[in-house]
This record gives sequence, structure tokens and C-alpha cells, in this order.
Amino acid sequence: MERTRVNVAVGVFMLLGILALGYLSIRLGRVSFLGGSGYVVTVDFPSVGGLKAGSTVEIAGVEIGRVESIRLADYQARVTLRVVGDVKLQDDSIASIKTKGLIGEKYVRISPGGSEKIIPPGGRIREVEAPVDFEELLSKYIFGKV
Amino acid sequence: MRVRRCGVVFAAALLALLAAEHPAWAGPPTEQLRAQIDRVLKVLEDPELKKEPRALDRRAAVRKIANDIFDFSETAQRSLARHWAPRTPAERAEFVQLFADLLERSYISKIEVYGGEKIQFIGESIDGDRATVRTRITTREGSDIPIDYRMLPRGSRWLVYDVVIEGVSLVANYRAQFNKIITTSSYKELVKKMRTKQEEFLEDERQRRTSLK
Repeated sequence: MERTRVNVAVGVFMLLGILALGYLSIRLGRVSFLGGSGYVVTVDFPSVGGLKAGSTVEIAGVEIGRVESIRLADYQARVTLRVVGDVKLQDDSIASIKTKGLIGEKYVRISPGGSEKIIPPGGRIREVEAPVDFEELLSKYIFGKV
Repeated sequence: MRVRRCGVVFAAALLALLAAEHPAWAGPPTEQLRAQIDRVLKVLEDPELKKEPRALDRRAAVRKIANDIFDFSETAQRSLARHWAPRTPAERAEFVQLFADLLERSYISKIEVYGGEKIQFIGESIDGDRATVRTRITTREGSDIPIDYRMLPRGSRWLVYDVVIEGVSLVANYRAQFNKIITTSSYKELVKKMRTKQEEFLEDERQRRTSLK
């Protein structure tokens, strides 16, 4: 009797350990099951230059979603973004791929527009900015200031 | 080289023919943009207008063509983004004017130093009611600058609402700047700033003109 109890306790402990491990790997691996919450929008970039599935999507520096997948479509990079919460993206929102700091990781920054049209779930952000290639940018120019 | 020139001449002839046959015919965005850019280049290369006393006439001529190329109100609206909706019609009209002035100050003065850079049209893509015309400018130093024009149909014409230079969007650039000024101070402050800048600019121009006389 005593023996069985110990065995059960060890078993339960082991099970808890495995569950914790599973939870950890899901969290760290940023895997989402059953499609996750929120909705998806796609963006076609001429190049993604270092953006990966799992990269963050931000508005004003606040994370509003993640990159779900990146694949090639008509020789462009089709990026699927999953936006969580009730953030609405206007039709004239601009998606740009930016770098955190000078050599940090890449993320998608969305600059919200002012249009009354809202991009529906499954829709597409049509205004994009490709990541800036600093090497190519040498001796090139900058827009005027206000 | 000769073959290409023949091709261009042929295309221009064809376009003229089509345009003559169908006055209201809206050509593809590239052809319309090319025609407008050619008009600008013609003004810039006009030896009569190149003379210093005619600088203002020249600028006025360029600005006039710019009005046929750009949809300034669309660009202004997109640049103001979230802050556009709360504005009254009068405020909007004023802002569009100030914004057009800002673009003129920043770019038309730069265009005036044009000295035979080559403009190539690389391609175009139409996606619903929006078109992207890709061009490349080769500077005198030989470096290539890719410039994409984003266009919208307005009546029978395609008008530019955004210019993406080297992957950097003009609207995104101004949107960030305007948003920063409006959120840290106010819309009034932004308009005041833009108006002062324009007045300063006009003052400078006036002084330059009087010193020339």
C-alpha cells in the first residue's frame, strides 16, 4: 500500500514535470495551436531580409501580433501576420520591416493610417516599405524634414 | 542604343496616335507618368528658363506640372493619417496647401539642379485600384536610385499619392513626423510650424531676388 502511494506520487510528479516542460517549449517556441486568437492579414514585401516567423508586429512600439509565416509568392515574400486583440488596421496603414537598434532583430512596424476603410480579417496591407539595406544606402539620400 | 531609341520613338508615336484617336483614353500609369516627367524635363532643360531671372517662372511651371502628377490632397490625407478625420473641411484645405508648399520647398528646389540624370522605367504593376510604377534614376556619379511611384486612378488619369525612394516611403516619413509633432504638442503647433517655414522660405526667395536686381 505504502509502496503504491509513493509510486503514484512519483508518477504525478513526473507528469507535472513533463507538462511544465511542454508548456515551456510551447511558450519559448511561440507555437500557436488551433490557429491562435485574433485574425490574420497578409503583406507582400519585395524582400524580408532577415524577418522570421515569430517576429513581432508592432504599432508605436507595442506588440500587437506576430509573423505567422513567410513564403514566396510571385517572387515576392508573402508575410502572414496574426494580429491579436481588437486592433483595427486601416486600409492605408503602412507595413515596414525595421531593425531593433542598428544590428538587432527584424520586426514588422505598422504605421496606422487615417482611412475609414478597415482591412478585414484575411485582407492585405497594400502599402509596404521594404527593409533598408544599409550597405546599399551609402551615399544615398534622405527625405527633407518638416 | 539605336534600336532602343527607335523603340522609344515608336512607342511615343503609338501613344500619340492612340491619344489622338481616343481623347478620354486613360493610358496605363507608366505612359501617363512618363509623359508628365517628360514635360518636367522639357521645362528644366529649356535654355530660356534656365536663366537666373526666370527662376520663379521655372518653378511655377514645374509646380503646375506637379499638380498634374500628384494628388496632393490624397498624399496630405495619408500623411496626416489618424489626425485627418477630426479636421474641419477648412482645416483640411489649409493643410493640403501647406503640405504642397512643404513638398515644393523640399523637392522642387532639388529638381532644379537637375543635370541630365537618366530616368529609366523598369516596370509597373496594377493591383485593383492601385498601381506601382518602378523607375530608376542614374546619377551623374553612376549610382542607381530606385524610385517607385504609387498611383491611384482619378477620373481618366492616374495620380501619384506616394513616392518610395530606396524603399523609404514619403508618406510614411511625413506620417511619422506629423504624428510626433501632433502628439507631443498639437495640430495647431504643426500648422504654425509649417506656416512659419513657408514664410521664411518666401522671405529668403524675396531677398535673393532683390539682391539679384
